[in-house]
Amino acid sequence: MMGTRTMNDDMFTPDVIADPYTYYGQLREEDPIHWNEKYQLWVVTSYDDVVWLTRHHELFSSAVFKNDPRPAYPDINESDLGLYEYVRQYQADQFIQHDRPDHLEMRKVVHGYFTPKSTEVWRPFVQSAINDLLDEAEARGHMDVMRDFATPLPVLVIAQMMGVPRQDRPYVRHLAEKLLNIGRGEPDRMKPLTEGMQGMIDYVSPLVDERLVNPGDDFISVLAQGEKAGVFTRHQVLVNTSLLLLAGHETTINLLCNGTLAFIRHPEQWNVLKQDPAGWAVRATEECLRYDAPVKSIQRIASEDVDIRGKLLRQNDRIRWFISSANRDPKPFAGPDSFDISRHPNPHVAFGSGIHHCLGASLARLEGQEAFKALAERFPALHLATEELAYQPSITFRSLKSLPVTWN
Amino acid sequence: MARTVRVTVDHNVCVGNAMCETIAPKVFVLNANRQSEAVDPAGDTVEKILDAAENCPVSAIIVEDAETGERLFP
Repeated sequence: MMGTRTMNDDMFTPDVIADPYTYYGQLREEDPIHWNEKYQLWVVTSYDDVVWLTRHHELFSSAVFKNDPRPAYPDINESDLGLYEYVRQYQADQFIQHDRPDHLEMRKVVHGYFTPKSTEVWRPFVQSAINDLLDEAEARGHMDVMRDFATPLPVLVIAQMMGVPRQDRPYVRHLAEKLLNIGRGEPDRMKPLTEGMQGMIDYVSPLVDERLVNPGDDFISVLAQGEKAGVFTRHQVLVNTSLLLLAGHETTINLLCNGTLAFIRHPEQWNVLKQDPAGWAVRATEECLRYDAPVKSIQRIASEDVDIRGKLLRQNDRIRWFISSANRDPKPFAGPDSFDISRHPNPHVAFGSGIHHCLGASLARLEGQEAFKALAERFPALHLATEELAYQPSITFRSLKSLPVTWN
Repeated sequence: MARTVRVTVDHNVCVGNAMCETIAPKVFVLNANRQSEAVDPAGDTVEKILDAAENCPVSAIIVEDAETGERLFP
């Protein structure tokens, strides 16, 4: 295993959290199917292997919480083991935590709501929400992109999709923030996480009752129809509603923050975007998704013994595939560590691949396109208000803690 | 006479989501790379083919009128 023996083989150390690309890049070059002793899991880092693995769903189960009896990692407080059991059962009911044939039946219920064409109808709403948020920021003269822009935007969009009344939005946002603990590493993360999960169930339950009687064109009605059709249980309807909030929230925040930071760090690319924001918005968003992807890695469980280029992955082994390494693989991407918004084609795996390819990809793309376009049009002199940036200690998400900027 | 269509899948874009195969299994089949191939554009109705194209999460499926070349999707 060459150099990996000598390097500190831990994905949660501060240097790997601050810069995942050096560590995972070294693994990709030296040991692309790597056994991590500390967390007892396989770390898959090359582009070809990530694509192959995600497209062989019959070999690598997504029913991670159902099929994996091992404890949480990193460790949680011993007193919170009961809470982890709640989290496991909650997560296990998410449609993304299922394999075929159940996954296909569940995905079919929600798939049509998120196609590129269906998503396009949300563009005017997203534009208007962005305008409102940037109006407020402009009046202040500075903003924390995280707190003032990237966090409220997806919550506004999702709340609208769920048909949440305007006066309830702050409460939904409060729950969404608790749910963010899902990808964190702190030992006391189970308490706020389970509060967020139970809070969502309690909040959404009466909405589901109502939409079963009076269906509308909102996402809860779509899920409620899935219950009527016998595809979802009630608990699954409730859990998948909060999945929308969970999956569509942190990921979009990271796209907007990491992308904005990439532009600030690469003024020449910012200049390109500013010349023609509408013209570059699509490719710029794809490059942001590739260069500093919102999701770093995702887990699977081996459904059977699998041999990958001489490494034997045993049935039930934990496997994590690393988007943040695959997207920097020099094989498909020339100059992989350069941020280049003219890159095309750009077959990044920020949304994964195969049957579990991110359901909300089109929505995320749309929000990214409109956000980067608006920032370039309105704040051409955008720059950092601090050099003190830090990331959440997560193996799943590439999440800045804050991103203070100004434009004067 | 029913319209005949030309169906192309852009392999720079296709992610193997396989929804096309679910909707029109006689037209779309996954290859060894688990990307979709339009093996038989006459295997299903044009409506089903357009439905499959619309449900592609990355808009990788291009449908054209085989005679006139008119773009039907996207």
